Amino acid sequence: MISMRRFVTLTVNAVVAMAVLAPTSGCGNKAPAAIVIQPAASATDNPTAARPTPTAAGNVAKDTVIVGMVTSLNGDMKPGGDDSAKGAQLAIEEFNKQNPSGINGKKVDFRIEDSNSRPEQGKSAAEKLMSDGAVALVGDVSSGICAQIANAAFAKGVPVVAVGATRSDLTDIGSNVFRVCYTDDFQGPVMAIFARKELGKKKAAIITDLKQPYSTDLSKNFRYFFTKLGGTIVDEEFYNSGDAQFSGQLTNLKSKSPDVIFMSGYFNETGPLARQAREQGIGKDVPLMGGDGWDSREILNTGGDAIVGSFFCNHYNNQETRPEVQTFLKTWTAKYGTTPGTTMGALGYDATMLTLQALKAAKVPDSKDVTDAIENTQNYKGVSGSITLKGMDGNPQKRALVIQLTGDPKAPQKVIRPYEWADVFVAPFHQHHRYTISDFK
Amino acid sequence: MTLALHLVAGVDFNTLPQQLVNGLLLGAIYALIALGYTMVYGVLRLINFAHGEVYMLGAYVALFVSYFMGFRPDATHPPQATILNLVIMLLASMVVCSIVGVCIERFAYRPMRSHSRIASLITAIGVSLLLQYGGALFLPNSPPPSISESVNPFHGQSKEFTLKGPSQDLVMLVEKAKPAKDQAQAAYQGWLTSHPNADIYNLPADGQALKEAQQSSTDIFNDAEHKVEAGGVHLIIQTGQAVMLVSTVVLMGILTYMVLFTRAGRAMRAVSHDFDSAALMGINVNNIVTFTFVLGSSLAGAGAMMTATFLGTPLTTFYGLAPGVKAFVAAVLGGIGNIPGAVLGGLLMGMAENMVVWAGYSNYRDAVAFLVLIIVLLFKPGGLMGSSKVEKV
Repeated sequence: MISMRRFVTLTVNAVVAMAVLAPTSGCGNKAPAAIVIQPAASATDNPTAARPTPTAAGNVAKDTVIVGMVTSLNGDMKPGGDDSAKGAQLAIEEFNKQNPSGINGKKVDFRIEDSNSRPEQGKSAAEKLMSDGAVALVGDVSSGICAQIANAAFAKGVPVVAVGATRSDLTDIGSNVFRVCYTDDFQGPVMAIFARKELGKKKAAIITDLKQPYSTDLSKNFRYFFTKLGGTIVDEEFYNSGDAQFSGQLTNLKSKSPDVIFMSGYFNETGPLARQAREQGIGKDVPLMGGDGWDSREILNTGGDAIVGSFFCNHYNNQETRPEVQTFLKTWTAKYGTTPGTTMGALGYDATMLTLQALKAAKVPDSKDVTDAIENTQNYKGVSGSITLKGMDGNPQKRALVIQLTGDPKAPQKVIRPYEWADVFVAPFHQHHRYTISDFK
Repeated sequence: MTLALHLVAGVDFNTLPQQLVNGLLLGAIYALIALGYTMVYGVLRLINFAHGEVYMLGAYVALFVSYFMGFRPDATHPPQATILNLVIMLLASMVVCSIVGVCIERFAYRPMRSHSRIASLITAIGVSLLLQYGGALFLPNSPPPSISESVNPFHGQSKEFTLKGPSQDLVMLVEKAKPAKDQAQAAYQGWLTSHPNADIYNLPADGQALKEAQQSSTDIFNDAEHKVEAGGVHLIIQTGQAVMLVSTVVLMGILTYMVLFTRAGRAMRAVSHDFDSAALMGINVNNIVTFTFVLGSSLAGAGAMMTATFLGTPLTTFYGLAPGVKAFVAAVLGGIGNIPGAVLGGLLMGMAENMVVWAGYSNYRDAVAFLVLIIVLLFKPGGLMGSSKVEKV
């Protein structure tokens, strides 16, 4: 038989093996937050330092102009990732139609790689594209993955345009990092204002997904601005992506009797969380709120009745009447049959189109000139709104929509109201590197 | 000292009963999975790493059966949920899981049985990875599907028990706040009916004033009500979770009966005592090992079906990873190879995790599981109920 000493060694080995074998530590397809960006970013800081400039020269276009896209075609972020790839395809088709001779006579070679919803795979996908000669990259839908892509691109000097990464300090990685979405230090205050001023809520509780850099940043911003608006945060509870049982956290939260609950995680856990919250006896008079991580059709399956009536912040909505949205929806429906399920379709389109137009505007299609051209983008009329990147440190000032989830399967989302920049921050908005409380209305 | 004060600062003793119940419910599931680890270890001296994946497959079986019965997420008119549906899902999960468990044993572990133990262990890890990543090729996992709540006939039902009522002063406070709230609400509703086209998120000044008055009086009322709520000790038990606990206890009872009072159970204990001698006494060891895998895997299947149905978690092929690790730790904690030990270990783990959350440290919930393991192994290397006798090899 086995000796006890050997058994203990075996057990310890086994635990270590299980921990090592658990690249995702039991969190489905999401990987741990291996984020390398500096933790300095908080709404209180006032960093005025310029972003570091990459020293590497980047790539030069040879026979064709290679543009790479890394997105989550599989894994937890698939709904958004799929849509962003579809949006990018639309953009490239439209660009080729408008520019039959390509860029300076060179054809655009658009390549999509899968990040599998994991930061480390996103990084290796980006590295592969860059070693294939990609002059510019279009990023992923989540902040944790984008941070890795941006780090890899910074080392090579290739520009990156992130699709849906909202974590505020993402663009601090380098002057080659841009995005087409708003940031968490905008959607956090938007939801704080909405909860305080429109819903008149005073006591908020926050539930954060510790494994997602996006979630921690959004919670931090919501907490900061909600408190500044005179509200109190009565409780903050944590979980990890992939958890199933939230009863302990919800019991604590209920005993603090919040009148609004802010869930900053992604839709995969928010649905069951909402369900268990209602079963714990947290009534419908306590609305649930979240950020753009809620944006998917799946949330209504996992959340069921419990999530109906909740509010979240989003980039754009299919019901908008702007001409850009209407044309986009028309071409999308003609190609794919249905309307896009998430806003990542529009953001993927915008990120790709903006990159392609910068390529065209660049003197030479090499990484350095393209970076400058993207930096000089002004009033690009995107589907998700107008985008200006000049002097913005990579963060466009866009508007945000507060959306309510309805129980109606035909129109599951209802636009409550848009928040423009001027509704949230005082002009001139961009005095600082990042928005601070003194800019806040 | 400050640390101690800080540690207890977040603790609310009125929620303790609720947290203990939460811990019990969580621990019961850990125990159910841990039984599979412990029984296989008892018989084969093998840590069956693929057990968590059997659990994952059980959840998928429940999902497919629920689809088959018409509870698809896109179904506009799902059929009426009955307990029969749940029983069918439970039995299907148990049957498929036991078949999977037996196949794993027959084709992966049995050929390795005559080789060194480390070879079996590595095979087990291999099977686990094969099911996780291989399963991703043909099981729906992105976006992660989840079992529709419409299949659960107890959905949204719960029972509230009041263990201790609030004081009379607090109740008075609520009654005092009520007329003001009702009045403000009536005024605001009246204004809204006279302005049918008003956008409640963008009101003119007079409407906004009424809205704010209504909000502030409601706040005072709600505050008072919350004080009443927090002043008492309540226990909310969801019917679904109660059903889960009762089923778990019943399954454990059946297991105990089988192990203690049947011929196969006695043979199983004999094999666990001494593999070779049991074979010499005329016990068909292979059949007993198969029997062990049937018992362990079907319990995992039952646990998976219940968590996937009652908690509504999205499924991926990594669904079994976290519960598998936790249950394994629970089995070691209780003394691996010891059946009551696995149950004790599971319950302890569930309780420990919820106590950490109760103390306000939900961010350390997972760390505590391993901390408990390390502490127990330091002082009692055989686990709480395992034998710590040093055996001569």
